[in-house]
Amino acid sequence: MNELMQAAAMVLDGEVLLVIVAASLFGLFMGAIPGLTATMATALLVPVTFFMEPLPAIAAIVSATAMAIVAGDIPGALLRMPGTPASAVYADEAYLMGKKGKLGLALGINVTCSMLGGIIGVAVLALFAPRIAEFALQFTSDEYFWLALLGLSCAILVAGGDPLKGAISMLIGLSLAMIGMDSVSGQMRFTMGSYDLLAGISLLPVLIGLFAITELLRSLPNAGQRASRVETPKGKLLDGVARTTWRYKGGVARGGLLGTMIGALPGAGADIASWISYAISRKLSREPQKYGTGHPEGLVSASAANNAALSGAYIPALVFGIPGDTVTAIIIGVLTTKGITPGPDVFTEQGALVNAIFMVFVLANLLLLPLGLMAIKGAGRLLAVPTGVLYPLILMFCIVGAFSANNSMFDVWVMLGLGLVGVFLMENDFPLGPLILAFILGPIIESNFMRSILKSDGDLMAFVDRPIAMVLAGLAILTWTLIIANGVWKGRKAGKGGGVSTEAS
Amino acid sequence: MRTSDAVSGTMAAALGAALIVASADLSPLPRQVYGAGTFPKVVGALLLLMGGLLVLKGLRQRQPWARWTSKVSGRAFVLALAAVVASVIAYVVLTPLLGFPIVAVALLTLLFRAYHRRGWGRALLIAVIATTVIWMLFAQLLHVPLEAGLLERVLY
Repeated sequence: MNELMQAAAMVLDGEVLLVIVAASLFGLFMGAIPGLTATMATALLVPVTFFMEPLPAIAAIVSATAMAIVAGDIPGALLRMPGTPASAVYADEAYLMGKKGKLGLALGINVTCSMLGGIIGVAVLALFAPRIAEFALQFTSDEYFWLALLGLSCAILVAGGDPLKGAISMLIGLSLAMIGMDSVSGQMRFTMGSYDLLAGISLLPVLIGLFAITELLRSLPNAGQRASRVETPKGKLLDGVARTTWRYKGGVARGGLLGTMIGALPGAGADIASWISYAISRKLSREPQKYGTGHPEGLVSASAANNAALSGAYIPALVFGIPGDTVTAIIIGVLTTKGITPGPDVFTEQGALVNAIFMVFVLANLLLLPLGLMAIKGAGRLLAVPTGVLYPLILMFCIVGAFSANNSMFDVWVMLGLGLVGVFLMENDFPLGPLILAFILGPIIESNFMRSILKSDGDLMAFVDRPIAMVLAGLAILTWTLIIANGVWKGRKAGKGGGVSTEAS
Repeated sequence: MRTSDAVSGTMAAALGAALIVASADLSPLPRQVYGAGTFPKVVGALLLLMGGLLVLKGLRQRQPWARWTSKVSGRAFVLALAAVVASVIAYVVLTPLLGFPIVAVALLTLLFRAYHRRGWGRALLIAVIATTVIWMLFAQLLHVPLEAGLLERVLY
């Protein structure tokens, strides 16, 4: 009980509350504008969080992403253009509802179900994370090695597309992570005599380069085009929302739980959660023929799922230090720079902080409703923000943000380089998720491998001589089999299809 | 731009080969087979393998070497690319000489003029406001040492 009181005191601090509101507004803006994603919002927030205490830093990222995912629904319904990839699956449905004069209902459902889904996700997180952490306390470097490897493998599996490309993307991330001083022997690796590379490549310029500069390079060519006129919903927004949500309450619960579970899988985030949840809801529906014509049922499940996935991703991140998606990968990076290594020990040593994080989640999700409704009312103005002004501003923010990590111009070069690499990879259907996860997990995998091998004096069998390690190893091998099978199957299908490769969605 | 998988595969394989070569002189830990060179060699070998498989796939499917697939025109993309690269280079080179405020205002003015297309006056005005806000946020609030440069005496 004492820990809960402490946690409440930490959250009810003026600074934390202010950060939550400010970050929510920032996320709302970034999410509502098509082309700016929740991950980009996080990457741009990180330079600011570097200067905060751990709790407000996490609070900022949690609230900004939750709000960005909800705000992404708005341009989907108004313009048929999803604000973030997580809204893509039901943008058509919401837009068609709008055409039928149910715009208020569609957006109201988006906001309400997002909040409910988010709350379900937090509940699962708060309920299960401490239990799993208790179990994870007995893990040694053997288990962590397998766990991190399993995380990477899952990331390739769920990234979709060509598994070969996912694997190469992951290997590039691992290569980047190896630059600098080797943590075990202290030898210099691939520094090419450069002083700047001694400490390795910092996370922040990599993030900003991959997720902000890459997106910017893809969006900037369209900048300056006249924004289309937007019709915002008139009348009462929440009319009929409660009734519809209650009617599909099963869909909300299913979307929330499914979203949390998918979010917890490494590499799968809010966008995959909403795709799968929408598909399942269609399959189980009593009136599947109505899907795609402006029917709210799929909207209910998928809206709940993408916000629940955000919370779900924190389960492996907080418990094992293995990120579930790009946003939690960033969180782990931020916490590490503050001297907190996410893992089961955090639950026993910093119980108050963990509980405070859960409370921040609840607050951020409750804020979705008022701020979301405000955003819908102001959508016309929000979507009229001239991109010709916005994108140059983001570029300046990226440069200053990358510089601020170590106050070094070298990081600005790293950012630019990674941005260019990112564009090339995206254009060629290499997923960026595995790259960033590998960049963060690489050092974890290597240092745990070396620790285990030193303990066992070079005996590789020591990696599988404990029961949990054996199970994890088995799971990793199973994942690789699935990846290879998937690759062979896809290769055969592509071969039969006359060699036409599929376009990126 | 989308290249044939044979091209991107070759690049991946080349990276793998480079990793293996560069890690050749990393010595293992005392009395061990494993050391600082283990992971680079494993990752390098995997890159060689996967890159090779990708090359085979690209060749077998007879993919075109390079083509333009994105929705925006090639010209607009090249211009945007040039704008971003030039801005970053200009920033890195000029900031130590002229200071953040001057460089930021100049860069933003040019970019706003190019992409917002509402005349120089408005571009300059927005650039000054934006630079002031970024300066307040990063230099004053977060204590990032942005150089004041030529404006040092004016600002302090």
